[in-house]
Amino acid sequence: MRRMNRRLQKWTANLLELPQDVVYDLPRLTMIGDRQLYIENHRGVLHFSSDRLRLALSKGELEVTGEDLVIRTIWTEEVFIEGVIKHIEVR
Amino acid sequence: MKGTWMHWVKGIVTVRARGGELESFVNQALQGGLELWSIRRTSEGQLEFETTIGHFFRLRPYLKRTGCRIHVTDRNGLPFWGLKVRRRIFFGVGLLLFFVGLYLLSSLVWNVQVNGNIRISDEQILKAAEAEGIHQLQWSFKLDDPAVLSKRIAARLPDASWVGVEKKGTSIVINIVESTKPDQGPLLSPRHLIATDDAVITEIQADTGRPVVKRNMRVKKGDILISGWLGDETNMQTVVAKGKVRGIVWHEYDIVSPLTEKVKVYTGLSTTKWHVVAGGRALQVSGFGKTPYSEYEVVQREEQLTWHGIKLPFGRMKESVLEVRLDERTLTKEEAVTKGIQQAKADLMTKAGSDAVIVAEKLLHEKTDNGKVYLKVLLEVEQSIVTEMPIVSTQGE
Repeated sequence: MRRMNRRLQKWTANLLELPQDVVYDLPRLTMIGDRQLYIENHRGVLHFSSDRLRLALSKGELEVTGEDLVIRTIWTEEVFIEGVIKHIEVR
Repeated sequence: MKGTWMHWVKGIVTVRARGGELESFVNQALQGGLELWSIRRTSEGQLEFETTIGHFFRLRPYLKRTGCRIHVTDRNGLPFWGLKVRRRIFFGVGLLLFFVGLYLLSSLVWNVQVNGNIRISDEQILKAAEAEGIHQLQWSFKLDDPAVLSKRIAARLPDASWVGVEKKGTSIVINIVESTKPDQGPLLSPRHLIATDDAVITEIQADTGRPVVKRNMRVKKGDILISGWLGDETNMQTVVAKGKVRGIVWHEYDIVSPLTEKVKVYTGLSTTKWHVVAGGRALQVSGFGKTPYSEYEVVQREEQLTWHGIKLPFGRMKESVLEVRLDERTLTKEEAVTKGIQQAKADLMTKAGSDAVIVAEKLLHEKTDNGKVYLKVLLEVEQSIVTEMPIVSTQGE
């Protein structure tokens, strides 16, 4: 039943050309150069230091590495990071 | 998001947290609906963030749960300002008084200006403005709308055709446009118009006053023609009677006209004197000596030099001296009569005015005696017969 549901979801998403992040609850990242990063749909901070930020996702986690990272603003599902961003990895 | 002005009003606290599980503290605080921003790691591994005062006091349960310790490093915003001001109460009061004073002084009317008046005096206008509340040191918020004020001031100044009130900062400018008035004639005292002579009215036009006589009526000298009294005995008003009354007047003339007439006759003898004229001065150059005639006339003729149509200030003058002789001429009786009547008419016209018209003339009596003609003439003249008589108040006020 659950599989059927997921298939139906995928089929409708394809049919209606819905963005994947809405349908599958995936994170959406907006990056401005290497200095600002806006992440929607995270599930909390796992680790935060000035050179590394790890965020929990609905599935897996996101790791941002860089220098002088600062969480400008944070809400329960969104986070806005400033600093020199060097590397983003989704695991 | 750096602290917005809303955060500033609420009061921003910068907090440093150490120990325990800092990440889960942040996650839980966010779950609990707290607002944290500008989260950064310090070099010693502490977490620094900013929050509002209200949220700061709600941090405590999350700190206990995660075992973190905090201390405040910086305070910013209105509530903290308030505290500072409370510490320096006189400074705060002074600041407030300054703004209040500035507002009050700028809402006073400091100066009232009047423009555009010539006949109406400044004092008169300022008095009217004063009655509407415009004066120095008046609160400007007490005054009505300028349009209303200008209407009311105009109502108080009958000689002004337009009044504009303008508020320029702390001064009020009153602009006046005066009404133009026709020139007033000389003041006249109340009067009647009366007849100068015995006459028969031919025409009467009363501009002011009540006409008493009609056309073809006989009037005597001194009769009232146009009365200066209006109304009846109970409601009487005296006015300056004005108008035009013409009538036929009879003038009787006794004329004595001589039968001889003296006439000037040129004898034909003359001498000439020449003068040189230069710039308005004449210098005699010929014809010197005494004039040889007992009766003579002098005729002058001046000629000026011109050059290409331009008059030069030089010229010559010819002075002719002509001998005359007085002859006596005998007139016929008819000639003497016409001459006499002509003289009488000329005399009459000067007396009766230029608009007088001679309607008829009648020769009543004619006698020739001692080389003279004696005439009695009756002239019928249509002329203006009005003269003024001032009304003297008879009610003895």
